[in-house]
Amino acid sequence: MRFLFVDQILELNRGEYVRGIKHITPDDACLGRDEQGRAIFPSSLIGETLGQLAAWNVMYQNDFHKRPVAGIVSCATVHRPAYLGETLELESFIDCLDDSAVQYHSIAQINGEKVFEVEGALGPLVPMPDFIDDDEVRRQFAEIYRPVSEEEKVPVVSAAPILNADRTVPCYVFSFDRILQVEPGVSLLAEKRISRSAPYFADHFPNNPVLPMTVLLECKLDLARQFLAQAAFPVNYQFSSMRKIKMNEFVHPGAQLVCHVAVKKRDEKECVLTFRSEVNGKRVCVLEMLLRVEGV
Amino acid sequence: MNVESVYPKVREIIADVLVIDEEEISLTSRLIADLGAESIDFLDLVFQLEKEFGIKIPRGQLEKNARGDLAEDEFEKGGVLSAKGMDALKSYLSEIPPENFKSTLKVNEIPMLFTVETFCKLVVSAVNEQKTGAAS
Repeated sequence: MRFLFVDQILELNRGEYVRGIKHITPDDACLGRDEQGRAIFPSSLIGETLGQLAAWNVMYQNDFHKRPVAGIVSCATVHRPAYLGETLELESFIDCLDDSAVQYHSIAQINGEKVFEVEGALGPLVPMPDFIDDDEVRRQFAEIYRPVSEEEKVPVVSAAPILNADRTVPCYVFSFDRILQVEPGVSLLAEKRISRSAPYFADHFPNNPVLPMTVLLECKLDLARQFLAQAAFPVNYQFSSMRKIKMNEFVHPGAQLVCHVAVKKRDEKECVLTFRSEVNGKRVCVLEMLLRVEGV
Repeated sequence: MNVESVYPKVREIIADVLVIDEEEISLTSRLIADLGAESIDFLDLVFQLEKEFGIKIPRGQLEKNARGDLAEDEFEKGGVLSAKGMDALKSYLSEIPPENFKSTLKVNEIPMLFTVETFCKLVVSAVNEQKTGAAS
């Protein structure tokens, strides 16, 4: 698995705006499945792709001396899944950038339809060599920075089905390892041990392997599904958004991460879950997850 | 607008940012030592205050306010506050008890001193500055 998701940067205005694409193909090693078994690009990884797109702009702007890392996201909203065979059209808008942090917002669309949105993202900038060698990151950028003129269009999405999509496309499961405690419909405690052999560490990052926040978010989405299955609420809640996401510590291989999930608010229309992750009793990531009843 | 009038909202925001109960927070609470804030929390807090009060707080503004008219090399040398710098800081952070200031203080240790009141003052001054800017 590569943990570099932007296929091509089509347009880049230093410190202001960047546009790119990502094709979702059978070559993607981190596809998941939706409830109907269709192959999808996990929604948290759309967020990762948008974050990487913004990061390329920031790193290009500061001549690859510093790179942003995940910090805070006010709200990440999923409008619909992104399916195998589709192409994500990505845009990131840099709202504020200085020596210490970047603030941006991003949107992913498919054929002009909004599928994922990131609002109020704030990433601290850290010294590049602490995470990846200078020549390596420059080479990665050069590979994908192929701007196109305004006349050149994003490739047209084909309606023809992907060959062998049901049989041969491998899927990767992002999840916690085990549930330690559960009070159905009230709270849950889960554990994930962080293994150096996880495939995303090769790119994230070569000089300092740390758990990508978006991988943790995808694991939490799976945990929400586990929680809902055990709760057996009388209505069918669907994931809508994550908000107040904050990653305040790096999580390294060897860590035993525990996550506490609890219901903050629930009615017949929506349910808000709080997630608090800790390593050795120290907070590493918090967020709220909004689940809605479809059609209400 | 003064510290007392912004305090309830600032307190609410700090509780939200640090994921703690409002009851744990008082005007004199130190963000790092008493409330467990970390560097990312300061970024978050400033971001939330900007949104709530419709103001702009450039990063490092607290340090700049504390420095006042002093040039950077008058305020600190090699990352350590000079005597003049320490006086300027004590004068700006007048809400902080003198015993909280170490005799030798590094610039990157200044946030250790910040209290809830420090952020209330920051909001008040940013709002007033904005009003002055709008009026002129």
